[in-house]
Amino acid sequence: MDEALIRLRGAAFGYEGRAVVSDVDLEVRPGSLWGVAGPNGAGKTTLVRGILGLIPPLAGEVERRGGALGYVPQAEVLDEVFPFTAEEVVHLGTYGRLRGLRGLPRKERALARELLGEVGMDQHARQHYASLSGGQRQRVLIARALMTRPRVLLLDEPTSGVDRGAELRILELLTRLNRDQGLAVLMVAHQLDLVRTTCETVLWVDRGSVRSGSAEEMLGPEGLQRLFGQSLGEEVEG
Amino acid sequence: MEGITWSEIFELFGYAILATLIAGVVCPLVGSFLLVRRTGFYGITLPQFAAAGIACGFALVGWWAEHVGIGGIDQATIVSGSHAALNYHLFWASLFTLGGLFALVLVGRKRGTETGRIAAAFAIASALTILFAMHSPVGDIYVHELLRGEILAVGFHELDTLAVLYGVVTLTIVVFHRDLALVSYDRDTARVLGKRVWRWELLLLNLVGVTVATGVMIVGPVVLFGLLVIPPLAARGLARSFLSFLFLSSTLGLVSAGLGLWISFRLDWPLGPAVVCAATLCLIPNWILGRRR
Repeated sequence: MDEALIRLRGAAFGYEGRAVVSDVDLEVRPGSLWGVAGPNGAGKTTLVRGILGLIPPLAGEVERRGGALGYVPQAEVLDEVFPFTAEEVVHLGTYGRLRGLRGLPRKERALARELLGEVGMDQHARQHYASLSGGQRQRVLIARALMTRPRVLLLDEPTSGVDRGAELRILELLTRLNRDQGLAVLMVAHQLDLVRTTCETVLWVDRGSVRSGSAEEMLGPEGLQRLFGQSLGEEVEG
Repeated sequence: MEGITWSEIFELFGYAILATLIAGVVCPLVGSFLLVRRTGFYGITLPQFAAAGIACGFALVGWWAEHVGIGGIDQATIVSGSHAALNYHLFWASLFTLGGLFALVLVGRKRGTETGRIAAAFAIASALTILFAMHSPVGDIYVHELLRGEILAVGFHELDTLAVLYGVVTLTIVVFHRDLALVSYDRDTARVLGKRVWRWELLLLNLVGVTVATGVMIVGPVVLFGLLVIPPLAARGLARSFLSFLFLSSTLGLVSAGLGLWISFRLDWPLGPAVVCAATLCLIPNWILGRRR
């Protein structure tokens, strides 16, 4: 049995000593594909930040194994004023490994180009990142996260603010990375239909508590009725 | 300056010219980081803090010379341009600049809008400069001349201090530009990649502090405003990548400083406004190309 890359036991995360999500148990194994869903303000981003180690756990245990984590933030949180090219944004992913005056090694440049090709953005390598569309930016950020050669990829709303076509391309990319490279993927998403059709397992975050189960089971008609109540379940199904 | 040849100008003002050109290269490099972090207003407010610090140093010079000592000089020789006098001014400029910078950053984490805080800080620093200068025993005219960036006052001591400190700033940025860019652009990813963000932030704040304090002392606040803010602004619209942005900022800063010096000598203008006017000319290509894009 594969060893868990991320393991949370009774973990609680929050700010200024106040837990936003608590009692979280989670095991992310290689090749798994997780969706993190729930109402706005329920604590999905807080949970991801906790898993990444950006906020310390208020309780419980967090174990991270298997080296670097790949992190894809929401594209809109990055300031457009920086005159980075798409390729330079991908290079940022190597900066954790580089020291001092050492230039970016040829191998890393080649990897960046390869990853831009992998996400279908090699044609835009020299273009200003700020001039790209929302979907293109997300794909560049996925390439940047892959530069750390992660075994787990965590994405905070990768399809937020993009059109349907871009959304499908991003999901196809994530599914391919997960299937072909055995990359574990954990993504926060609002669109329940998207989570149900893409992910195997769902973490449902609501009012501070976290539940997990198979996407089919949790986001199917009966599961939605349990999560939202009868009327909304019907509405979503319809 | 009529009746004086360029070779005579270089002979008389060589140190001042070199100091201005060095500032032209280094200040925009630091200003580039202020611009992309959307803290460009710091480039205007911090020099005012440095000015207040220098004026405070002048106001306290008598007491300081008597109780602490300034390398053997006293109230009468504080205007001598010696290394001891320069270090004394630099101490006060650094103290106020770094104090103001850390206060802005720390208060900024609590509440309020950033522009409001910076505007208030600018008003307070300006008022303090006037009040301290008024109480300076060496006369507020001398203080105002120094703060205006009187190019004639730049001697060897000022030049070597500026060259050493700005050399350190440039070297630090060249070596660590990647880390500084990463923590400025995406703090969370920097932390995920194992960077200790607060250390890099602290380094950047110190680089800004040293640049401003030294620059105000030697080339004056107006030259510093212009070089910190305008060349990066002009370069941002023209640059094709982040590295070219840094390079272009410095190049435009050097051009602005050179052109400003030429205007200043040719038309007998004060150096500060001449450099700012020259830097403003650098915005024209940006404006034209920006409209075409």
